[in-house]
Amino acid sequence: MAERKLLLEHSHETSFRTRAGYEQTGGYEGLKKALGMERQAIIDEVKTSGLRGRGGAGFPTWIKWNGLPKEKKTSHFIICNADEGEPGTFKDKELIEKCPFLLVEGMTIAGVATQADAGYIYIRGEYLDGARSLRSAIDEAYKAGYLGKNIMGSGVNFDLYIHMGAGSYECGEETALMSSLMGERGMPRLKFPHAPLPTISGVFEKPTLINNVETYCCAPFILKNGGEWYATLGASTKNSRGTKIFSVSGHVKKPGNYEIEFGTPLQELLEIAGGMVDGDLKFCVPGGSSVPMIKKAEVERAIIGYEEMSEVRSMVGSGGCMFFNDSTCVVTFTWRTAQFYANESCGKCTPCREGTRWMVQILDRILAGGGNPGDAELLQQVASQIDGRSFCPLGDAAAWPVAAALRVFPEEFAYFIENGSSMVTGAKTLAMAP
Amino acid sequence: MAAEMMGVDMVTILVDDIELQVPKGELIVESVKRLGIEIPIFCYHPRMKPVGMCRMCLVETGTKQPDGTIRKMPKPQASCTLPASEGLAIYTQTPQIIQDRKGVLEFLLINHPLDCPICDRGGECPLQNNTLFYGPSTSRHIEFKRHAPKAIPLSEHVTLDLERCIQCGRCVRFTEEISGDGQLAFRFRGASMQPSTFALSAFESKFSGNTIEICPVGALTSSQSRFRARPWDLESSAGVCTLCSCGCNVWFDHRIGKLVRVNGRTNNAVNEEWTCDQGKFGHDYYNHNERQASVFIRTSARLESTSWTVGLGEIVTKLKSTGTSAGFLLGPKISNEAGFLACRAATALGSRQVAGIDSRVELGANFEVPADSLLSLEQAKVIVSVGPSLADTLPIVYLRVRKAASQKGAKVISIHSSPTELDEFAFLSLCHKPGTLSLLIQGLDGSLALEEVALQTGVSAQALKEAKTVLEGQGVSFIATNQVAHTEGSAALSDLRRLAKKLEANWNHFCETASGFASLASCSGLGMELQSPESILKKCLSGDIKFLWLVDFDPFELVKDRELVKQALEEVEFLVVQSAIASEASHYASVVLPQSLPAEGGGSFTNLDGQLQNFDAFLPKIGMARADWQIFAELLSRMDLAAGMFSRQDILQMAAKDVPYFKEALTGKQDHQPQPSGAGV
Ligand SMILES: Cc1cc2nc3c(=O)[nH]c(=O)nc-3n(C[C@H](O)[C@H](O)[C@H](O)COP(=O)(O)O)c2cc1C
Ligand code: SF4
Ligand code: SF4
Ligand code: FES
Repeated sequence: MAERKLLLEHSHETSFRTRAGYEQTGGYEGLKKALGMERQAIIDEVKTSGLRGRGGAGFPTWIKWNGLPKEKKTSHFIICNADEGEPGTFKDKELIEKCPFLLVEGMTIAGVATQADAGYIYIRGEYLDGARSLRSAIDEAYKAGYLGKNIMGSGVNFDLYIHMGAGSYECGEETALMSSLMGERGMPRLKFPHAPLPTISGVFEKPTLINNVETYCCAPFILKNGGEWYATLGASTKNSRGTKIFSVSGHVKKPGNYEIEFGTPLQELLEIAGGMVDGDLKFCVPGGSSVPMIKKAEVERAIIGYEEMSEVRSMVGSGGCMFFNDSTCVVTFTWRTAQFYANESCGKCTPCREGTRWMVQILDRILAGGGNPGDAELLQQVASQIDGRSFCPLGDAAAWPVAAALRVFPEEFAYFIENGSSMVTGAKTLAMAP
Repeated sequence: MAAEMMGVDMVTILVDDIELQVPKGELIVESVKRLGIEIPIFCYHPRMKPVGMCRMCLVETGTKQPDGTIRKMPKPQASCTLPASEGLAIYTQTPQIIQDRKGVLEFLLINHPLDCPICDRGGECPLQNNTLFYGPSTSRHIEFKRHAPKAIPLSEHVTLDLERCIQCGRCVRFTEEISGDGQLAFRFRGASMQPSTFALSAFESKFSGNTIEICPVGALTSSQSRFRARPWDLESSAGVCTLCSCGCNVWFDHRIGKLVRVNGRTNNAVNEEWTCDQGKFGHDYYNHNERQASVFIRTSARLESTSWTVGLGEIVTKLKSTGTSAGFLLGPKISNEAGFLACRAATALGSRQVAGIDSRVELGANFEVPADSLLSLEQAKVIVSVGPSLADTLPIVYLRVRKAASQKGAKVISIHSSPTELDEFAFLSLCHKPGTLSLLIQGLDGSLALEEVALQTGVSAQALKEAKTVLEGQGVSFIATNQVAHTEGSAALSDLRRLAKKLEANWNHFCETASGFASLASCSGLGMELQSPESILKKCLSGDIKFLWLVDFDPFELVKDRELVKQALEEVEFLVVQSAIASEASHYASVVLPQSLPAEGGGSFTNLDGQLQNFDAFLPKIGMARADWQIFAELLSRMDLAAGMFSRQDILQMAAKDVPYFKEALTGKQDHQPQPSGAGV
């Protein structure tokens, strides 16, 4: 298999960023169809497509769409999560910069299906270019009657707003995002069964749908070509349908975003990205920095699919796929990753707030040559005291990479602790300054 | 079960394999208490919304399957946020949970300074307690601890030791949810997160002291009692705050006969568990260095110390000749017993001249018991608060009003001539030009055109119209105090009362002082009117009053017209100054009587909604001082005006014969017995 460009097919064409150019490629046919359908039929189409959330968790998209009250009693909102903070992931950046109309159309379809009054696009603060591109797409869509009052004469109203984040990874977590959007501190809220689902009480305490950029961008294709057609993509996998954009980085020849069909072997993704530079593949972090790393042997047999990846004890995640060659010191890599999560912990709950800092402290000490016997076990236990005990999944995300590194490369930790220097580079000092 | 009767859905849950019926949606952390099981907590507080921050309360959970087996959930859940649902199974004692608690405590302690030996909270600290019961015995953390400033003065009253903070958010949530001033927030994130005021300004709140008590560690400390005593050296005695009419239940914590600190004591019918800052920090007059310790009598130009026999003897002699022209000014903090006996003396002597701060003579209204209690106020649909800041005059009423609004959806209408705290959450704020309240009322009762009223009062016709509509609904309660009369004139207060009556709303004209309710009730029971202090002072000038007794009443503090006070005290033939602390009035005294304070002499106090609360003495009296009621009991015995008053109970029994209120209070279940300490909850 090779690349299978669906979302990114026209991403290199600048005309695709204008309404006219977008329409020439078949843009807005999905919305037109949707406006002529029963709301439930739209949701059923998404159900048939087998689309799952591209934000990381792979939750069936139709269930969320279906979860908003059918009988509308109050305002409904939809949110696009464009906060893209997971290290290694940069696919949403490309989508909003180069394919803004896909998102605008996709959200409008979702808005129609869920009877939403408005949509909010919460964009990572650094993505200024993306925000500009979206701004002009939204303005054009309003002018052309694709947004606003009485969309395309259908009687449906839908408004779209952009909100810029302020530099917090945690604000990509859906409930923290809603708090942030409401002007509160970016801390996550209680979730089901402790509180109602966002589809019942989300942003501004109204029924809310939240999806990732890439998820919404699939909707125009599903509506245009039908759910059944979409479901033929990735049919070789157990339960993953469609295409997925992977942001490939690390020691590869051609880092970048590559869209593939589910069912593509991971090894092939590496080849699409030009293969390794300077040395042999050592390990891969396939779905963003929080997912467990896998070794070369697993990379060779891994098939890209939500269930398939768990067979090699990893995940599709957000699609931030990083390949590392044999010059990489795993201890240093783990330290750098741990540092990210410690910096991004919001501070709300004890395990994540205290545990992430402690893990960094231990790794700091090991890297400075001060490792003690038992440090690897201690690290492992601290990680397990965070995993599943924290308030939101950021804690888990912080614990997994550490636990995985300790499990996959125990010898490198043992060596560093015993000798005070890296087994790979021989270096004692920190390889990467923060 | 009460919930069952009220038609609340009940569900069956399993707690450690024991079946239990609980109201649907009850938080599991509460449900398990029904079985006597305790789940350790930090951030959870029963009076605030649960947040699930600290993760101390984790439990394993599962659900009952159709085949009767339990399917366990993979992750432990916070029980403080988990609502009870049918078939939910909870495990509080599994090896996993025991391990998880150790884990959370280990995390909380790695950056904790562990300075328990010098910490004010040491000995009554939830962190210490939970660590002892559930924590690891050692730490595996050998890295540098996080450091932070040790004494940040957040306000005049509260000092923050940031290193001890466990980021539970209770203090922040208190200011958001309970006091409503929103003064605290978290700043920074992750391990650097810390509670703080915005922009590091001063913590300006009328209720800041409560955060010290709900802080589960020694992070928020009282600037007043910081480092003054270890908790285990303190003795806690149940008392009542007498600084205003709310009658907050408090613990007086004392050491070797000295008051060290005051904490809130739980009484859901009064203050729940809160205190205002005035009550919490305003009791240091107990340790005043000019406490009155002996009886003085004036010989020529000087006051000389003497005995009670001589002092009281002199008073009795004088009263025998001038008794019919004797006047009594009742202080704001005197006990029910003293208030009643003073009134009794005034009637027995035939003078009938008694005055107090809560007098209503100018209103032409006799004493009227407020229609609402603090509890029933919470159920009101509409609350109309009139006059200056309620948070200042009646802090605890303010908290109830806020609770009614924020938790029960009551609509608050705030009427005043300068903004108050209520405006923050009021449904309508009617801010009128000073002196135009009567006009505004005429607009509300329909006797004046709204446009006309709007023009004169500066309140928009639209707002007036809305207010009028809301007032026509059910469940309306009015709240007013004498402050309305002071700022807008007595007529305005009478007009307001008439409006409330016309609307068939609950009329609550609350007393402001701790002695107010009982003084008004005693006077009306004995067929007198409680006069205003000014009118008595004027009678001193005119010669109608020749003998004046200041019953712990400092006229220079309490009466605005200083000149009037001076002249009256100079003019009057005989002046008795009975007080706990030497005051300016002593310079004019013929006899000075040293009076003890409630914690030293005891007394009962009736709060603004008529709850009679006993306050038994536990501190030693200073020098020769006697309780206010003892002084009057002895006077009346000596003059043969009454007999058989050997205890406070005797006096209350006597009062019950003359005063209907006391009869009800003694036979009803008005007396609130102290409940166990709420410290550390
Ligand atoms: C700490 C954290 C950060 C997250 N950041 C993002 C993000 O940047 N973008 C995103 O789409 N989802 C992110 N998520 C996942 C969202 O919470 C949520 O699952 C997602 O937006 C749902 O969209 P989907 O169903 O389309 O995947 C994050 C989750 C966590 C726990
Ligand atoms: S796991 Fe806890 S501290 Fe970490 S980001 Fe989530 S809520 Fe905040
Ligand atoms: S100061 Fe006390 S109450 Fe406030 S967050 Fe810290 S530990 Fe909690
Ligand atoms: S008490 Fe439940 S999480 Fe803090």
